[in-house]
Amino acid sequence: MDPQQPEPVVYLCGDCGAECPLKSGDVIQCRDCGYRILYKKRTRRIVQYEAR
Amino acid sequence: MVSQQDDMVSQQEDFGANPNLLAAPIKSPVDKFQLLPAFLKVRGLVKQHIDSFNYFVNYGMKKIMEANALHKVTDTIYLRYINISVGEPYVAIDNIKLTPQFCRLSDRTYSADISVDIEYTDGKGQHPTRKTSVKIGRLPIMLRSCNCVLNGKDETELAKLGECPLDPGGYFVVKGTEKVILIQEQLSKNRILIDIDGKGRITASVTCSTHEVKSKTVFFMDKEKIYLQLNQFVKPIPIMVVMKAMGTESDQEVVQMVGRNPRYGDLLLPSIQECSSERIYSQEQALDYMDAKFNFFKSCSIQLFITSFSTLKEGRAKSILTDVFLAHVPVKEQNFRPKCIYAAVMLRRMLDAILNSDTFDDKDYVGNKRLELSGQLVSLLFEDLFKTMNTQAVQRMNYAMGQSNRSGALDFSRYIVTDIITLGLEKSISTGNWDLKRFRMHKKGVSQVLSRLSYIGALGHMTRISPQFEKTRKVSGPRALQPSQWGMLCPCDTPEGEACGLTKNLALMTHVTTDEEEGPLISLCYSLGVEDLAHLSAEEIYANDSYLVFFNGLILGKHTRPHTFANAMRRVRRSGKIGEFVGFRTFDDFLHDGLIEYLDVNEQNNALIALYEHEAGEIDRSEITHIEIEPLTLLGVVAGLIPYPHHNQSPRNTYQCAMGKQAMGNIAFNQLSRADTLLYLLVYAQRPLLTTKTIELVGYDKLGAGQNATVAVMSYSGYDIEDAIVMNKSSLDRGFGRCIAMKKQTVVRENYGGKVSDIIVAPQRDKDGALIRKNMQILGADGIAEPGQIVRNNDMLVNKKSPLNVDKDLKTRTYKDTPAFFKGVEGETTVIDRVLIYTDNNEKMPIKFIIRHVRRPELGDKFSSRHGQKGVCGTIVNQEDFPFSERGICPDLIMNPHGFPSRMTIGKMIELLGGKAGVSWGRFHYGSAFGEPSGNACKVDDISNALIQKGFSYSGKDFLYSGILGTPLQAYIFMGPIYYQKLKHMVLDKMHARAKGPRVMLTRQPTEGRSRDGGLRLGEMERDCLIAYGASMLIFERLMLSSDPYQVQVCQKCGLLGYYNQKLKKSFCSMCKDGENMATMKLPYACKLLFQELQSMNVVPRLKLTEA
Repeated sequence: MDPQQPEPVVYLCGDCGAECPLKSGDVIQCRDCGYRILYKKRTRRIVQYEAR
Repeated sequence: MVSQQDDMVSQQEDFGANPNLLAAPIKSPVDKFQLLPAFLKVRGLVKQHIDSFNYFVNYGMKKIMEANALHKVTDTIYLRYINISVGEPYVAIDNIKLTPQFCRLSDRTYSADISVDIEYTDGKGQHPTRKTSVKIGRLPIMLRSCNCVLNGKDETELAKLGECPLDPGGYFVVKGTEKVILIQEQLSKNRILIDIDGKGRITASVTCSTHEVKSKTVFFMDKEKIYLQLNQFVKPIPIMVVMKAMGTESDQEVVQMVGRNPRYGDLLLPSIQECSSERIYSQEQALDYMDAKFNFFKSCSIQLFITSFSTLKEGRAKSILTDVFLAHVPVKEQNFRPKCIYAAVMLRRMLDAILNSDTFDDKDYVGNKRLELSGQLVSLLFEDLFKTMNTQAVQRMNYAMGQSNRSGALDFSRYIVTDIITLGLEKSISTGNWDLKRFRMHKKGVSQVLSRLSYIGALGHMTRISPQFEKTRKVSGPRALQPSQWGMLCPCDTPEGEACGLTKNLALMTHVTTDEEEGPLISLCYSLGVEDLAHLSAEEIYANDSYLVFFNGLILGKHTRPHTFANAMRRVRRSGKIGEFVGFRTFDDFLHDGLIEYLDVNEQNNALIALYEHEAGEIDRSEITHIEIEPLTLLGVVAGLIPYPHHNQSPRNTYQCAMGKQAMGNIAFNQLSRADTLLYLLVYAQRPLLTTKTIELVGYDKLGAGQNATVAVMSYSGYDIEDAIVMNKSSLDRGFGRCIAMKKQTVVRENYGGKVSDIIVAPQRDKDGALIRKNMQILGADGIAEPGQIVRNNDMLVNKKSPLNVDKDLKTRTYKDTPAFFKGVEGETTVIDRVLIYTDNNEKMPIKFIIRHVRRPELGDKFSSRHGQKGVCGTIVNQEDFPFSERGICPDLIMNPHGFPSRMTIGKMIELLGGKAGVSWGRFHYGSAFGEPSGNACKVDDISNALIQKGFSYSGKDFLYSGILGTPLQAYIFMGPIYYQKLKHMVLDKMHARAKGPRVMLTRQPTEGRSRDGGLRLGEMERDCLIAYGASMLIFERLMLSSDPYQVQVCQKCGLLGYYNQKLKKSFCSMCKDGENMATMKLPYACKLLFQELQSMNVVPRLKLTEA
């Protein structure tokens, strides 16, 4: 576990929806349209919800 | 003195056609309803806010700039403003257009640059240079105003910008929160008001307001003599002295100005006598007299703002008469005559009031009130800040010129500090405090956070009017419903309790005007035959058949045929030459053609308005001057949701107005992309089966806040007493009343300057690959919790670390763990909906978690119909046990019939009938206010017939079987759909219990409130009960043992508290310096604290102990 070499995590642009891989310390900005709000992608783990 | 032609600066409303055109056949009165949608399309629901802001940006700002254009350091060194303009909102860094939604999400201010063109000289007073578009600050932009990016956009374009097309705009986005500047109610400015003051004296007062000065002039009558009261004078000044000081030296002329009627003369005589007994005959004597009464301390603050400050040689009195006394009447070239005549008119109205008490003014009359809108309020702020900025610029320039070691030419424009306006505006709008020392204005709560509880709540917030009085005043007058409110202010929509009747709401079609250009109107008046005041002698003013013409509180002159004049003015207005609204499309065409006109409250006095064309009755048809477009428009937006409000007891409608704002539903089309701190949404919101025209007009049918529940009005189980509701469990399974609570939690990655900041790391694992902490499960690879994950109380949201040392030059850094956890209800499963990441202006990185919780109704959740009938869920019963009809219809909820007799909400019954007919026919029925004659509300007869045709009973009652016994019920049950709202008060957010728990440090008593896991207080009144009952041990337990027991050592000799020496195992008294006579006892820690606090104030409490 080396915190200096983190793998890039993919985020989604809040405006155009493009995927945007970022490493920690990168500027928060979409590379396609320049929008400055990014969303985290939905988890890929299996989640079991309770339907009531 | 009749015919007050107060121009268009007031609330105006009301429509109608001119009598000649009435004679021509109008198709039918139903047709005129078509005007209403057209009207709202052109105008929008919050036009008053947007218009007012547009006026400020386009004209108001220029006027302020022009009034403060030139700033001189010396005669030659100056700074002059030439032009001012406001641009479009954009992001300062990347020059990208700023959108409101972006600002909401990223906590920014939606603002645009204010730029000016300036001309200035250098430090030697030479080389005047011009600079264009110099930025002097940023102005928060009102949404949908002319500078907003949303202006003129259609639905698709709005959707692209992330905006809801139904959102009315008219508010600001400051630091990410939506702020409304409430409409402020005020007493009319520049108007004579005759009243009786607290001492029972008759007064005539004018609150004057011009761009330069604001003052209040009061004439009052004391012991038959009339005096002037002005803050600038220590003592009241006899009125004749004032008249003489203004150059009307002859008593006869004064009497002539007031009026030739001998009765006026008689009443004036004591005042005239007093003046002559003071031996004041000439202007000089009068001015000297007034100089002596001058109050220097009070005046000096005001004089700073008097622009045309007269030289001291003339005496202070004269300058006050010029600038403060009746400040709105201009004095040109030392000509005091207009002021004299105005003062005489005030006198005359006072004397009129003495002779005939009917002529007193009613302060609560809506025509005597004005509404101050966001544009005017922002303009005040801007004026203040602009002046501050300029004085500072001049000061800095002055200082820079004083520095001897300066190099190069001085650049005036560099001394303009842009932060003053930017920060000042932002601060005031975000806190709501209007603290303007310059205008002696200290208002709090001017702006409020826009309530986004429901769509209708937001709309209702935009039309709210905040009161002029403090709520503490114990007078009923301002709270009472005024007949003149008709059509202007909603009679139903007002809060209960302390602000009842003071906080009001606009009616649906009320239009609040902004200022109109005065010049052309004045010349129009003159050309319509108004004789100029300047050419009239005192005698002529009140000659027979002459009537004064007032214009915005100014006397223009007189007119001999007032009706001709008024009619001529109206004709000009109808022909669309004056007072028109910027026009396009149908509604405005009608306005242009003069078929529809706005009437203000004062003009309504001269009109006879019918509701319907066929409504003749005892009144001659030819006397009717106007017809109302629709009677439903007399209600406001919120009251417009109620079906058949005219069948309900009035307070029920008021209750619904309060509850409609708490109903959950759809907030806006962009509700799922918003990031509010708390958002309540209904999962399956429906549009009401029984609608009103207002609902369709405001878009409540698109963004509803409730569901059509089939209601059986019957008693069931006993869990339905006191307005409780029995609910069908299967209905809840199907999604009735299911709601989403979205909560926001923000975690900020701090930045400590430079590259030093918090770090967020991936969740640490041990050598087996297992997480080092169990609550790290939902974190993603970046150390931030992922959307879609179920999050429980105390789960980690961000695995954050903060540097121990923030020194910039450190090579290696050590960090400590500063993780952020989710705080939620124990045992509830909530889901992370979205995670937003962005960087703010200070290089910090906030991470916003929007956490979703879906709730189904449970015992104790609050519901309400649209008729002020609220109730909590009393029990949830399986569908098997619910009553059912032969058709298999089973109600969603059961309501106890005891809710009806005392509440008298007939509207709810008709809603049930109409709803039932509606579902069986597959159409929507209408229940607009007072709509039966025009067909905007279905009649009960027609509904009954519709029910019969579908095989129901005409009364709406059904034959039901008992769900428990399977036998028919003894009575027919009134059953059908009623629109039910789920209110935001839910048990989950309120329930609270505690045994042991946290305590307050200071008193060691249990904490207070649910949020701090506080104890339940046994208060004074509960204590009284226990005393009365004699349960002394219970009191002892509750008040001491369960609260803050404490053991103390008391010295029986001196009665003070001692201490226990742990080493010697003995107690001592520190006062007596010995350990004799010590006793041990228990008392509440708060009691011991009180003793010590008293001692600290030199009060000695001594305890006297007896054997118990």
